[in-house]
Amino acid sequence: MNERAGPAIVTRALERTIVGQQGVIEGLLLGLLCSGHVLLEGPPGLAKTLACRSLADALHGEFKRIQFTPDLLPSDIVGTRIFDQRESAFTTVRGPIFANVVLADEINRAPAKVQSALLEAMQERQVTIGPQTHPLPDPFIVMATMNPLDSEGTYALPVAQMDRFLLKIDVGYPSRAEELAILERFAIADAPVIAPVATLDAVREWRALAHNVHLDEALKRYIVELVVITREAQHPAIDFGASPRATLAIANLARAKALLEQRDYAVPDDVRTVAPLALRHRIGFNFRVASDGGATRVLDELIARVPVP
Amino acid sequence: MALFSRTSALILALVAFATGGPIDAQSLQRLTVTQLTLSADTATPKIEIPFHLIVTAHVRERISELDNLDLPILAELELLGSERTTVASRGGTTYRETITVVAHHSGAITIAPVTLDATDARNGRNFRYSSNALTLHVQGPGTAIVAASDAWQGLRALLGAVLRLALILVGVAGIILLIAVLIRRRPLPAPVVTLAPPVPVVRDPGAQLREALGELERDRTRAGAMRARHIVRRMVGATDAETLADVLRRPLASDLQLRDLLRALERAGFTHNADLTAAIAAAIAQLERMTR
Repeated sequence: MNERAGPAIVTRALERTIVGQQGVIEGLLLGLLCSGHVLLEGPPGLAKTLACRSLADALHGEFKRIQFTPDLLPSDIVGTRIFDQRESAFTTVRGPIFANVVLADEINRAPAKVQSALLEAMQERQVTIGPQTHPLPDPFIVMATMNPLDSEGTYALPVAQMDRFLLKIDVGYPSRAEELAILERFAIADAPVIAPVATLDAVREWRALAHNVHLDEALKRYIVELVVITREAQHPAIDFGASPRATLAIANLARAKALLEQRDYAVPDDVRTVAPLALRHRIGFNFRVASDGGATRVLDELIARVPVP
Repeated sequence: MALFSRTSALILALVAFATGGPIDAQSLQRLTVTQLTLSADTATPKIEIPFHLIVTAHVRERISELDNLDLPILAELELLGSERTTVASRGGTTYRETITVVAHHSGAITIAPVTLDATDARNGRNFRYSSNALTLHVQGPGTAIVAASDAWQGLRALLGAVLRLALILVGVAGIILLIAVLIRRRPLPAPVVTLAPPVPVVRDPGAQLREALGELERDRTRAGAMRARHIVRRMVGATDAETLADVLRRPLASDLQLRDLLRALERAGFTHNADLTAAIAAAIAQLERMTR
């Protein structure tokens, strides 16, 4: 394993399995480097599950998938205590959340109580089962998917809950060339299993490096302006702007992006690339704009208004 | 005209009290009569045009009706209708009857006074209160104002008409003046001046690179690096909204040396302090290569 190559080695490993979807791969790595959770929104069949599983495989980490359904209970996620008759004592059965990479598939299919249990665990990085509190493994990253096409019987995530996700990635359809490559690569054989290219220790090391990436004062002001304009622009398509958590998210993501580009300092390009990922799900867009896909256009328009340092 | 009616009514009411006298009626209302007047809404009604006679009485007591009010016989006028109102308040009761009439013949008409029989509440004596009489001058179509009183009324009407016309003219002139002032105050639209297209100042890229180099050599700090970066970005036509990735997509930035310079200046502008000196040195070196 060539861990000294940095996180780019994971990118290359994922690209061998997943055709296209550069944004998804980069978003997953940004989340990993920032210890943040990722929300993936896109229609089914776009390799979201494969990307998450491949990331866990590439890091030699544990992967768990939770299919969210309307009858799911919080204990189905975090675990429960059962009475062991042989030992005459309660034993703890850990839920699927105890993994390095957790895929919460179709998170909006579960009721609010279950969503809250997951989101609380994401925030606290520990769960309490009975009288005991159990820390979650490190690294721990949740990748939740939402299906925008099928809104029947779903429980939409409130904005306050969405705010807990570091970034949101809109997963789009592949291009014709990419679709042809998918056909040639996976028509006969299943997706290849990725051999581990890095360890969990390496991930922790990369995270420390990302944390130390230099973010110049001019860039910090640029980030603040990007967030403030979502509140002060009085844009007719926006009901409310992004929270200060978005400011922190952009700063962390810009540092991680710089590390992915093998730099120890961030540049305006890093900030502008990650800003939409951190802002899109934190802004209250009008229903009409949000439904016709105009949110991205409005956000791009606002970002373009802020002068680059 | 209304002013005339009111004034005359007040005066005539006083006359009415002076001419009132005791009567012999037995069951009369006990009233303190303070006003009893007869007036018209015009002193010069016109033939076949309805006008109003107005009887107004005021008593200090709160009553619902005046029982013994006698209206005169209107022999020379046709009665079209009447409307009565009685308004009781803390100060007493005001009775008002409006009689709509029309004249069919021109000339002077004298209407007899209205009378009210009541017991004076102050001394218990019965009285017949009497209003003023009313003289109207009915004017027919084309009727010449020949009588002396008619001449005075005509002169008053003429003066009134002249005064009204003068007031209207003054009002119209005032409005025109106001509009003129407002139009003058409004800023006039800027005249459309067709300017010749500016002569493009084509600066020698070499001169701009030398300027950037000079800036950076004078001030080897991050601020100096940002100024040099600004000069080079301006040289390739970058705007404030563009990042380095955008600038590198510009056709003017296709030169490999220029691309390296832009990257070096980006590094000098945003790198951490420990790397700043080396980054500025690298940018200077690149600038020197390009200006040589």
